[in-house]
Amino acid sequence: MFEALLQQTQSAAPAIEPPAAAALALGLAAFGAGYAERGIGAAAMGAIAEDDSLFVNGLILTVLPETLVILALVGFFLI
Amino acid sequence: MSSAGGSNPEYVTARVRARKSVLYGDEEYRKLIRMGPAEISRFMEESDYETEINALGARHSGVDLIEYALNRNLAKQFDDLLRWADGRLYDLIARYLRKFDAWNVKTVIRGIYSEADREAISDDLIRAGEFDEELLDQLLDAPSIEDVVDRLSGTIFGPGLEDAYDDYEETGVLVPLENAIDRTYYEHLLEDLVVDEATQQYREFLEAEIDFRNARNALRLAQSGADIDPAEYYIDGGSLFSASELATLAQNRDELVTAIRESKYGDDLSAALDELETAESLINFERALDIALLEYTDALGHVFPLSITPIASYILAKEREVDNIRAIARGREAGLSEEQIEQELVIL
Repeated sequence: MFEALLQQTQSAAPAIEPPAAAALALGLAAFGAGYAERGIGAAAMGAIAEDDSLFVNGLILTVLPETLVILALVGFFLI
Repeated sequence: MSSAGGSNPEYVTARVRARKSVLYGDEEYRKLIRMGPAEISRFMEESDYETEINALGARHSGVDLIEYALNRNLAKQFDDLLRWADGRLYDLIARYLRKFDAWNVKTVIRGIYSEADREAISDDLIRAGEFDEELLDQLLDAPSIEDVVDRLSGTIFGPGLEDAYDDYEETGVLVPLENAIDRTYYEHLLEDLVVDEATQQYREFLEAEIDFRNARNALRLAQSGADIDPAEYYIDGGSLFSASELATLAQNRDELVTAIRESKYGDDLSAALDELETAESLINFERALDIALLEYTDALGHVFPLSITPIASYILAKEREVDNIRAIARGREAGLSEEQIEQELVIL
């Protein structure tokens, strides 16, 4: 009876399926990007409030962490 | 605008850095020194002080206009800081800006004591601290010093002032009241300050300020030779002197100079101390203290960019700018030469 149980566990699927793990990784990357943008966005808004000409720089710097998500997306499609 | 919730150093630091970059530099001061009061106010109108000069231009003129515009701009800048900051950052900024609350309370008390009219007192207030307009108006409306003390009972100055008021009634001089205000301010400066890596520097800056204030008081007492107990004026919290040390050192100027030279500020102040040993006047030494503090805070902001320190550095730089412009305007009015005025300025 125990043998049967052992065999069953061995053949069972992993706790997280590869696509689910990839989705989790992508979500975590997006979360990290969002957290990074929080600080940068606040600083960019401060700088823009003082000097309008910094709008473009502020925008570029704010979306830079989005590259994290794009890289994670590559991983997502490789699975 | 409260001390609860998250803190937002990114936003405030970005704005403060932008503001700091438009402060007057060497170049501007050199131009200002050659100008008369009317030209200075024109120069200010073309720079950061436009709104204030325009608002006050109709009512005042000459050096008064410059003075009031400077005060008002200072108040606006620091009010902005408090308006932007949230959470812990607000608490840290408010600590330092209570200096202006102390200034305002002193101004009101002095005004009532000398029976100045409400308008005149109100013009001299710097509305930059934590007190809101309502409280300041209440203070201005107070008919006597006792009422001022009463109306402050809910603030941090309340308990100290109440104790000092009895002394005031006995002696009839303002010294006990003013002393109580200063001490309350400095005592609250370091109180309950949570020290972590980032605020460690801030604390060192505040301690340096207290130490310098103590040194300055002691030197003034030593210089004047007055028979006053230095411990009365001692401010707690510094790292350089203890109350009893200061009391002995104030008797003897040479020993005091040696004590400062051997302290951790010795390197920054060595030039000033040399001058102090030879010269009779304290003015140069006090100026050297200001420069040393300014230099110290200028470097502060670069170690922990996302903390209180860049903001503290801006506050100090702005205060110096206001002092400098005022010194230039007053100096020109009094007919001082350019070299004399230059000696008064605190420029890095």
